[in-house]
This record gives sequence, C-alpha cells and structure tokens, in this order.
Amino acid sequence: MTQGWLEKVTGSFDDKKRWRQYKARKEQLPGNYRTTIDALERYFTYAGAIVKGDVLMQMLEDLADLVEGAAADGTPVRDIVGEDPVEFAETFISNYSDGQWINKERKRLTDTINQAAAGDA
Amino acid sequence: MGKQMTEMLKGTLEGIVLATLAARPAYGYEITARLREQGFSDIVEGTVYALLVRIEQRGLVDVAKVPSEKGPPRKVYSLNASGSAYLDEFWSTWSFLAERIEQLHHNNHTQEKGEWP
Repeated sequence: MTQGWLEKVTGSFDDKKRWRQYKARKEQLPGNYRTTIDALERYFTYAGAIVKGDVLMQMLEDLADLVEGAAADGTPVRDIVGEDPVEFAETFISNYSDGQWINKERKRLTDTINQAAAGDA
Repeated sequence: MGKQMTEMLKGTLEGIVLATLAARPAYGYEITARLREQGFSDIVEGTVYALLVRIEQRGLVDVAKVPSEKGPPRKVYSLNASGSAYLDEFWSTWSFLAERIEQLHHNNHTQEKGEWP
C-alpha cells in the first residue's frame, strides 16, 4: 500500500484496522485468558521496544492466535506460559527483533567492527 | 524438569520439534502434547508456539490453516525441503556433540578408577 501524506501524519490506516481487529478478538476470550493476553501485551510493549507498527501488529496477532487456540483446547493458562512467564515473553519477543529499536544499534556495532577488522577504520 | 534440563533443551528444542514434524504434520497443541507424552513433561505450549513462529519465519515449515470444530482455524505445520535439510544438519551436529560429550564422560570415569594415565 502506498502511504499518502495523510498516513504520514496519522500513522498507517492498515495498522489501525489490525489493532481494532486484535482488540475485538481479545474481547471474545474467557476472563482468565483475557487477563493473560493483556499482561503479555503490556510486557511486550514495554520490553519489546518495537518501533515498526506492522511488526508489532504481527507479534500481537501471533499472540492472539496462541491464546485463542489454547482457550479453545482448554489448555490451562499455566500450561501456556510455564513457570516463568518472563522467560516465555522474552523468547516470544526475540522473534520480532527486526522491528526493535536496538536492531539499528546492533547493525551499527556489526558494521563498525567489520570495518575495524578489515583495517580501514 | 530441572533448570539444567531447561537450559540444555533450549538449544535442541528446534531440532526436536522439526523431528516431530518429520513424522507427520501437526498443529501447535498436538506437538506439545506429543512431546509431553515422550517425557518432556514440563514443556509448555507457548514455548513450542514461539519456536514454530520462528521456524515459519525462517521458511523451514509450510503452514496450512485448517478449520476446527471448536474455536479459530488451526495452523497446521509441515516440514518442507529446507526444513528437512536443516533437520539433517541438526542430526549430524547432534551426533558429533553426543560423541564428544560421551568421550569426555568416559575419560573422566576411567580416570577416577585410575585406569587412565
């Protein structure tokens, strides 16, 4: 989709639509699964530091797929996230590092060391 | 499952899941259930799912959305050609590691008994 000047001001309409759909999916979940997805979403938005809207939406949609499926199968919340929810959350986030702000710095570090190793810096 | 087991499994779970899919295609919950049956009793669905997301992003599996009687459509994962190649590499790496580690274990053992200089 070509971004018009308006979307440059307001952010992508497409991402906003996906966000509304995601919120609607959450509303359908039974209480304890909704609490779980809300808690994970909160952690993801703090710890993920994802700056790309489409990557963030992909992450949340994948999360919704997991929690909806688990709710349908009757998988207990503890069996979704395990004894250490933080560890699970970090594993999940690592799949979306393309959209993380730190990724720019990782690239910068790699490039600089490559130059230094090649002897031209 | 102890902390050490969890740490060791981290590096091998990808291969284990691909090996499970080599037997036949499956959706997330099935894979978790199969692994639990095989004795990986503390494996949780979220960890397996996060791993499936990763191997999908890397193009090692094909994904089909299959309607389900209850709840949303299920994503069924099947191993593709890249996945098979990756799994072959996993097995040779595993054999190498297992052999080296077993040798270390054996050497230490005989050393304790004084059979080794």
